[in-house]
Amino acid sequence: MNQLTFAIRQEAARILEENIVDVVIGFKAGILPLKAQPAFITRQEEAEKLMHNGFCQNNLASYLTRRPKGERVGIICRGCESRAVRALVLEHQHDRDKLYLIGVPCTGIIDWRKIEREVGENTLQAVEEGDEVIVTTRDGEHRFQRADVLHDSCQRCLHPNPVGADIVLGDPLPEGDPERAWAPVLEFEALLPEERYACFVQEAERCIRCYACREACPMCYCAECFVDYTTPRWAESMITPSGTQAWHIIRAFHQTGRCVSCGACERACPMDIKMTYLTDKLNYDMGQQYGFEVGASEEEQPPFAAFTLDDKNRFVR
Amino acid sequence: MNNPSTSSGHRTWIPRIVVFQCQYSLYCEADQRWMDIQLPQHIKLIKAPCTGRIGPLFVLNAVQGGADGILISGCLPEQCHFKEGNLGARRQLDEFRRFLTYLGMEEERVRFVWIDLSERGRIQQELADLEETIGAIGPARRLATRAIPAGENL
Repeated sequence: MNQLTFAIRQEAARILEENIVDVVIGFKAGILPLKAQPAFITRQEEAEKLMHNGFCQNNLASYLTRRPKGERVGIICRGCESRAVRALVLEHQHDRDKLYLIGVPCTGIIDWRKIEREVGENTLQAVEEGDEVIVTTRDGEHRFQRADVLHDSCQRCLHPNPVGADIVLGDPLPEGDPERAWAPVLEFEALLPEERYACFVQEAERCIRCYACREACPMCYCAECFVDYTTPRWAESMITPSGTQAWHIIRAFHQTGRCVSCGACERACPMDIKMTYLTDKLNYDMGQQYGFEVGASEEEQPPFAAFTLDDKNRFVR
Repeated sequence: MNNPSTSSGHRTWIPRIVVFQCQYSLYCEADQRWMDIQLPQHIKLIKAPCTGRIGPLFVLNAVQGGADGILISGCLPEQCHFKEGNLGARRQLDEFRRFLTYLGMEEERVRFVWIDLSERGRIQQELADLEETIGAIGPARRLATRAIPAGENL
């Protein structure tokens, strides 16, 4: 058990005992190696179940909007989760007074797909040891450098430290490199239009419309999504080129100025479809056009909600 | 008529154009009557109560449905009938066009015309200009994924 897990259990037990929160959302060990499960802890004794390591894949902030209204929630936040919480509070999806944020500086999420590609499906055990990940399979032991098997979004992560947390456990980490973060967007932009379209079609056509990306996303909380509308039918609901492309375009576009770049959509996708190149582009544009970054401030509204008459000199040909 | 090839120098393909119009943006009576009654066959007019109502899904549906060109007309910032509906629309639609361009669509296919209330005849000029631009770059191939009903112009 690592030190961080111990600190999280202690803090969770304390806030439950002192009746500061009704539930603590965190992670517990999963049934399978390489995968942890989200856990909802309501009693002090259960806090022993909590753990935290690089195999915690979900963005816990996505559960905030599904909890009953008025419930006081303690939530374990990494950098991206804390920014998602901030954006949700800004959109009046939760009261900040009813939240208790346990901040954890994040060293990145390990992508189980990258490991599975190397060692096959017979993983028996996986543990982190410092900068190494040790995976035991039936054929023996495999060692990976942690930095090599991190999820793509985590390799590009800009802000690993939680923002606006009530308590931070662990030491702050250095901020990410913007050049590296935006490199995929700029590379994609440099391609020819037909190449870009071919890439997009190749990704979108694999989509099976399971909407796991929507469920995993902390910012997708609409009671009725545009794809579920039947009158009018905004996009074809079947696995047609038109339907899947519309889903990918509009899902990403609804995240403009709201996406926290956590990559939960990509990790949730059963078809391994790349999606962050879409949302990253929109985030990049929002930074370039309006100097906006998600979760950077507690008051600033996202650009699409904060239009002013100062815009009048833009866009006019 | 939908054949994009040019034969013996003269164009046989006519671009399909969709116009999204804010119903308050054409103040001039004559212009509005021309849009309502005398619009050529290959141009389809869709009126919305305000530019703010014209969402990205409207534009995407037009692109996927096979529109070669899209013209979005709205009022200038201070002249919105609903005070600020067009301001939100400008930010969204401008970004949406940039996003579609990122995915491989030609940027020229979507055009915005912010019309001053006193500009008479501007909309006709812009439509002619757009038609010429679209004629030069050819019919839409990318992102036009929905089957067009046979025998229909749009």
